[in-house]
Amino acid sequence: MKLIFIAFVCLFFAACASVRPDVAIFDPVEQAILVAEAAGGDEFAPVEMRFAREKLASAKKGMEKEKYEVAVYLLEEAEINAELAIEKSRTAKSRRRVNELRKSNEELDARMRATFGDEFK
Amino acid sequence: MSRTMKRFILLMMVVLLSACTAPPKKDLALDRVRGELDDLKSNPELAGYAPLAVGEAERALRQAELASGDDLYRAYLVYMADRRIQIARTMAEREQHEQALDELEKQRSDMLIKASQLEADQARMDAERARLLVATTTEDAQRAREEKEQAEQKEAESARAAQLSAEEADQARRLAESRASEAEYARLEADLASQQITSLTRQLENLQLRETESGVVVTLGDVLFASGQTTLVEGGRSSLAEVVDLLQTEPDKKIRVEGHTDSLGDAETNLQLSEKRAQAVLEALVSMGVSSERISALGMGEDFPIASNEDEEGRARNRRVDVILLDN
Repeated sequence: MKLIFIAFVCLFFAACASVRPDVAIFDPVEQAILVAEAAGGDEFAPVEMRFAREKLASAKKGMEKEKYEVAVYLLEEAEINAELAIEKSRTAKSRRRVNELRKSNEELDARMRATFGDEFK
Repeated sequence: MSRTMKRFILLMMVVLLSACTAPPKKDLALDRVRGELDDLKSNPELAGYAPLAVGEAERALRQAELASGDDLYRAYLVYMADRRIQIARTMAEREQHEQALDELEKQRSDMLIKASQLEADQARMDAERARLLVATTTEDAQRAREEKEQAEQKEAESARAAQLSAEEADQARRLAESRASEAEYARLEADLASQQITSLTRQLENLQLRETESGVVVTLGDVLFASGQTTLVEGGRSSLAEVVDLLQTEPDKKIRVEGHTDSLGDAETNLQLSEKRAQAVLEALVSMGVSSERISALGMGEDFPIASNEDEEGRARNRRVDVILLDN
């Protein structure tokens, strides 16, 4: 009776929490941070970059202290922060392009009006 | 396995399932994250963009909402859902930017098209103007061609006429030649005349000239002689150079040199003085190239003043030698 209960508890934890992970699980997160850096994350999403790096460091520490569950959560959080940093950087660049093109169109419009007067538009 | 055992297992299964699927407790963090997703989905500018990312955020949020178990795990799920929503929002913004970029590109190309149309309009107007100009020019050219044809016909006619009589033609040529040489001669004369006029004008500027009934009178002031003297002062000849130039422009006219004095002193002496002075000027002019045959000298004394003898200024004007270019 008691044994069965313990077995269920173990099963529960096995189902919902991670077990001892491989050290290689850091690799994709480190990769994601590198991509985010290349995308300009430190300029466009410094907060997310910091989160990503700090959580990765914490995850490594947790792994050393054999707090696998926390370590895996932190690792996931680090990775998603890197992902968010990538997206934010790309969006910042597209926003910049929009602003530049809008400004350039306004200048073109002004130049056309100067050249053709009220006939333009 | 006894019935009670079976029941227990069943119960535990239920407990287990409920542990994983039970509705969550009231969770402020979760509410906030749900609010963020709702906000994204109802945002009029962003709604509809990045559907895949929004779907992922939706799933992450549902997972967090349905999660049971320890707080750490649930906090992790809420955090992940929050990040997923932010990713979705960021991607939605980017898609919106891309649409805005498309619109701006279209706007730009519309402007450029419009500009090139206006430019084309202007070019067409210019071309129309140029065409009209060409048409006018063509008309002119047509007229000119017709005139030329007529002239050529006339020329041909006269050529035929010329052929009829070689002698006539020859005469015509001689006539033309003589006319040409006449014209040439006339031109040369005209040139000469204009040259003379020019040089005369220049001299008139420098010399004191008067028109009188007897002719043009050049008055040489009392700078030529020292007081009481009858020989030219040094440098007097050079001031006569212009007079000589003037006289030589009319080589056919006679010249009379008249000496005049003021009224001071005795009249006989003055007469002799004036005569000697006139003679001195005559000799100077002759030595400078004026023909002695056309020139004569005369002493006039004090009897022909051109100004008052009452003051020195007047007397100075009266002390003079007149060189007259006689009309006859």
